[in-house]
Amino acid sequence: MIDAAPTPGRKDVGTLAVASLFIGLGLVTLHDVTTYSDRDSVVFPTFVACALIFCSVLVIIRSWLWPSPHNGFGSGDWWRRLLLVVTMLAACLVMPFSGFLPATAIAFAGGLVAARHEGWDARSAFVFAASGVFIMAGFYALFRFALGVPLP
Amino acid sequence: MDFEHLANALTLTNLALALFGVVAGTIIGSIPGLSATMAVAVLVPITFSMAPASALILLGAIYTGAIYGGAYSAILLNTPGTPSAIGTTFDGYPMAKRGDGDLAVAIACYASVFGGMVGALALLLLAPPLSSVALAFGPVEYLWLSIFGLSLIASLSTGNVLKGLAGGAFGLLLSCVGVAEISADIRLTFGSPTMIGGIEVVGALIGLYCIPVLIDLVATPERHLKVEQGGRAVRFREAAAIAWRSRVNLLRSSVIGTVIGILPGAGGSVAGLVAYSEAKRTARPDQKFGEGEPDGIMATEAANNATVGGGFIPTLVLGIPGTPPDAVILGALLVQGVRTGPTLFEGGGSIVYTFIFGLFIATILMLPTGLLIGRYAYKTIVTIPKTILVPAVGFMTIIGTFAIRNSVSDVVIMITLGSVGWVLSRFGFAASPIVLGLILGPIAEQGFVQAWIIGDATGNLAGMFFGRPISLGIIAFTILSLLYPVIQSRRTRRLLKMQANSND
Repeated sequence: MIDAAPTPGRKDVGTLAVASLFIGLGLVTLHDVTTYSDRDSVVFPTFVACALIFCSVLVIIRSWLWPSPHNGFGSGDWWRRLLLVVTMLAACLVMPFSGFLPATAIAFAGGLVAARHEGWDARSAFVFAASGVFIMAGFYALFRFALGVPLP
Repeated sequence: MDFEHLANALTLTNLALALFGVVAGTIIGSIPGLSATMAVAVLVPITFSMAPASALILLGAIYTGAIYGGAYSAILLNTPGTPSAIGTTFDGYPMAKRGDGDLAVAIACYASVFGGMVGALALLLLAPPLSSVALAFGPVEYLWLSIFGLSLIASLSTGNVLKGLAGGAFGLLLSCVGVAEISADIRLTFGSPTMIGGIEVVGALIGLYCIPVLIDLVATPERHLKVEQGGRAVRFREAAAIAWRSRVNLLRSSVIGTVIGILPGAGGSVAGLVAYSEAKRTARPDQKFGEGEPDGIMATEAANNATVGGGFIPTLVLGIPGTPPDAVILGALLVQGVRTGPTLFEGGGSIVYTFIFGLFIATILMLPTGLLIGRYAYKTIVTIPKTILVPAVGFMTIIGTFAIRNSVSDVVIMITLGSVGWVLSRFGFAASPIVLGLILGPIAEQGFVQAWIIGDATGNLAGMFFGRPISLGIIAFTILSLLYPVIQSRRTRRLLKMQANSND
């Protein structure tokens, strides 16, 4: 799926949506502070939530009156973007059960597939897989044994 | 202080330690997620069996190398290797994208060496008088300092100040997530155990700067960095000429870095951003900051390396660490049996002065090693195929973020925040104001609450917030930094109008 290029003159829906989400976040924060026991914890988030709501309202007004035609997701393959992020998140979910290396291998494989635009053959698949094993093993050894990080 | 201390610093052992420290620090600092604090902490155990002066030289060299190393990934991958290099991404990555990455790396090296030398010189000549500055800063001064930092949003948000302010407020809100520092209330976690630990700044930095780049890289088949044809020569001379032309910027940024380094808790990230903002504020009309302007790299790198010497001033004179790595070094000194304080410069003066000369040597050694490592880092990143670069960097973001607190939750937050940051950036909400809010939020909140409690107890709230001379000075600077862009744009408009009239 390829995006269309932004057309001038249309409303900047993305900016309006983001600013509306910020307002929602501010309102949720104002509700959340009512559950705190100490007054010292309340003052700062309350002030910040009000500032966020105020700035977001101004962003909406400005964006409504003067929409920017340059904003938008731009061109590019959506499935590649999603594959990259989803495999990285999947690695985090699997990590406590499978251990660090098998989990990050999922993210690495996802990244390889997402970033390869030239197509695959047996040779390139072998070379990139071998490079991946080498890189992951090298960094794993550095962090686990040299830097003493307790990787799962 | 005499030549005996210089001779002590120049022994073969100390020279070898300084060289090893600079190289190790540069490599560790260039890996996203491994901060200067971690580089120093990881290598501290090596120093326990050494003489105190040699141990200090090694730790100082690691620290200064790590701060510089952060520039590599900031320039070549748009990911600050350390938080101090946030400002380096603004112009470094655009330079790398247009094929000037080698020039940017060389400029960063010269600026880091210059800043490091100024910081070390301040440590040598002005340590006792300057350390009193740190003592004069109370909670309310930190509050105003953080508000001054937040006012930089105006200059950091290119194009849309309103979106910058909204992003800054979003960052401040993110800094509230987790257990409150003062009262221990659990805030904005919505019952999720993932969020209780709060949002770790380095993880957030990796997410907000690196993940959007990876998402953009996979979407299209274009190369990640422009490659110049014909294999041109190394651009050391060109970088040196640019650095010489911007010597005022280098000096100003180094002084800013030294002074901010003296203030406990502020650190290289704040120093780099303040220096960047000042460089942008005083820029010539033809300079385009944020689009690959060498002065932006020089300001950030000179300032963050100057914090090394600056941070050692309160550490050695008062026993108050100026920056987080200084706290680790202070701990290592205590293990060695060295007691910091004003008497260190008298009774144990030989250790201190040998260390200061060692810091000078380490900073000088950073020039050849930094240029050499930088050259190979640039060539590697430019020539490596995107197919392997993307998963390798993705893997490094995961392992680097995990290593900070050994927490999978931090990695989940990093990826989520990065994806959100990518969407926000597509609609004009830049990452820098969010990061600024995230960094300055805890400093502002702590300063505000403490000042409020003290003012309330003494019955003089207004006097507490607005009656102290240093606070008033910072307030004046804040107002100036907020108004200056408006005044400058009016002046430019008036000049353009006058030019148009004269042409007619």
